[in-house]
Amino acid sequence: MPALVSAQDTNPPDVLVSRQLAESEGLTVGSVVRLSTDAAGTHAREFRIAGIYEPTPDPSRLGQVPRSVRLHLPDLLEMTRPVDVPAGAEYVSSVNVALVDPKDADQFAGDVNARLPGVLALPSGQAAGSAGPFRVLERFHLAIAVVTIIAATVFLLALTIMLVDERRETVGVLRLIGLPVRRILAQILLEGLLVAGVGAVFGLILAVLSEQLINHFFQWRYDTALVFVRITKDVALTCVSIAVPLGASATVVASWALLRRGGLRLARR
Amino acid sequence: MTAIGFAWRSLVRQPARAALGILGVAAVGALLFDMLLLSRGLIVSMQDLLDRGGWDVRVSAGELPSSGLRIPNAIDTADAISRLPSVQAALVVRTASVQIDRASGQPIRASFQGVATRSTDPAGSRLRAPWTILRGRDAEGPNEVVIDEKLASESRLEPGGTITMRASCVADLEALPAIRLTVVGVAEFPFQSTNESTTGGTFDALQAACGGNVGSEADLMLVTSKGDADGTAAAIRALRPEIRAATNTEVVGRLQQTGFTYFRQISSVLTTVTVSFAVLLITVLLTVSVNQRLGEIAALRALGFSRMRVVKDVLSESALIVGIGGLLSLPLGLLLASGLDRILKGMPGIPVALHFFVFERQTLAVHVALLVATAIIAALYPMRIVSTLPIAATLRDEVIG
Repeated sequence: MPALVSAQDTNPPDVLVSRQLAESEGLTVGSVVRLSTDAAGTHAREFRIAGIYEPTPDPSRLGQVPRSVRLHLPDLLEMTRPVDVPAGAEYVSSVNVALVDPKDADQFAGDVNARLPGVLALPSGQAAGSAGPFRVLERFHLAIAVVTIIAATVFLLALTIMLVDERRETVGVLRLIGLPVRRILAQILLEGLLVAGVGAVFGLILAVLSEQLINHFFQWRYDTALVFVRITKDVALTCVSIAVPLGASATVVASWALLRRGGLRLARR
Repeated sequence: MTAIGFAWRSLVRQPARAALGILGVAAVGALLFDMLLLSRGLIVSMQDLLDRGGWDVRVSAGELPSSGLRIPNAIDTADAISRLPSVQAALVVRTASVQIDRASGQPIRASFQGVATRSTDPAGSRLRAPWTILRGRDAEGPNEVVIDEKLASESRLEPGGTITMRASCVADLEALPAIRLTVVGVAEFPFQSTNESTTGGTFDALQAACGGNVGSEADLMLVTSKGDADGTAAAIRALRPEIRAATNTEVVGRLQQTGFTYFRQISSVLTTVTVSFAVLLITVLLTVSVNQRLGEIAALRALGFSRMRVVKDVLSESALIVGIGGLLSLPLGLLLASGLDRILKGMPGIPVALHFFVFERQTLAVHVALLVATAIIAALYPMRIVSTLPIAATLRDEVIG
């Protein structure tokens, strides 16, 4: 991180400063700053702040406040070039290439690798190594979700067993007046579907409300524009497609044990 | 009969619902236990990893040892540091990317750690590199190298074999001439990640691999103090203000504020959600159970059971469900933690020896405290129902109903 000192000069080159750095150092557009490659401030050069930018959110740098400055490459090389390296012979870590037709990326990378030994060209899809951690986090969250679903299912079964037991007399009377088991089961299934459906919708509303809350909290906590929770249509559909059949099945399973008993036994006090 | 005995009989009378309630608590408790293990797991594991080997101060050019910045004039700096009265030894570490040729197939990408010890203390000069030799011996000469277990099995190499490596020392894509090195040992590297191979040797061996193109820069310097790590770090900072010296505890503190924060936050959120979920569900279970037995409870009150006694019965029932479920949650949680740890260790760059879920006594204490609180809070509403139950009216309703 180059050292930063306020200064005044005539016409220095332009730089951009990240919002976080500008806020922490009280920098504004038009200010002139001195940048150096070491903390002692040796060989410092003056630059004018042409703009303040919001850094592209980078999940792999979560928790690190992006206090950064963007310079034109020639200015940066001028500052960082060792004394024994002639201009134009410096290293750059990477070169981004925009192709006329992005479909040619593989062919282009192959051509560069064949013609320029010592240079490694990769299509951007393969170069995005940072995707790895997020695939792992996705698996981690999925595993947590599976455990939560198992716990919820067990509790749901316990609850439905109790609720069904509460209605044993009603079910007994229905059996005694001649309603077949299948008819009662269908009614219970419909009730289960209705309750599970309402529960799923309520859960989604809660999720949408907490989505804002969680995002605001983490965006404030990490000073980032990253989105942490996003309830997409697919996520909502997945939740409903798990919750509704699970709720309805729990009701039917819990009722089944009760319905196997005779009407008289169920209705007796 | 005691309140606990009475509550036990109430549970046994309805085995299915009791078993499901306990299983539910066990599953939620396991998740809660895991989130508590996760909240401090990385910190404890990283501290343990840093403390291994006995190096208690880390010197780097950036805020964190892994910042990518290099320490200039590293050998001279290490010499100066080793002369400090509180320092036992200083170890210079420089890393280069290497490709190791194989007889058939693609070359293996690995890193090469070159180390040099500087010490004016007889005890310090005996300190070795930050790796542990598993087989063979440590690398001492400029043409010797130790390799990790992964590389040994992939290349079918054992001590006595030779490897051909091409190093990239200044920039990642340099293409330097190949060099042959003798493998003298197989070692365990504490910070080696699951998806990389590592080799190690002397600084001279690294110089040879890099064709002398290393300069005097180092990625990291490890220092062993004579007992006062904080004082030694301060002395190094005073000696060389341009470099950063931090004790292992300070490094962990910095990591806590940056890299580990996500897992602490997610663990806090999930702990809160899990406890709320458990409280809500146990409250519902107990409330429904109590509501179904209002007549029975009113009869017991009429027979002479005191208000406090029936409240104790409900509390005991809650304590039994949460207690048995909580006990089951411990082995279940440890099993789940090992699975989740395996998943998270799939992240690139995570050291093999680092764990996300680490057991500590204080974690168990917090887990027990949270479960006790859950049992009490979940029983509050049903306890209120039984304590305010009108005996005569309830009995009359039961008879008429």
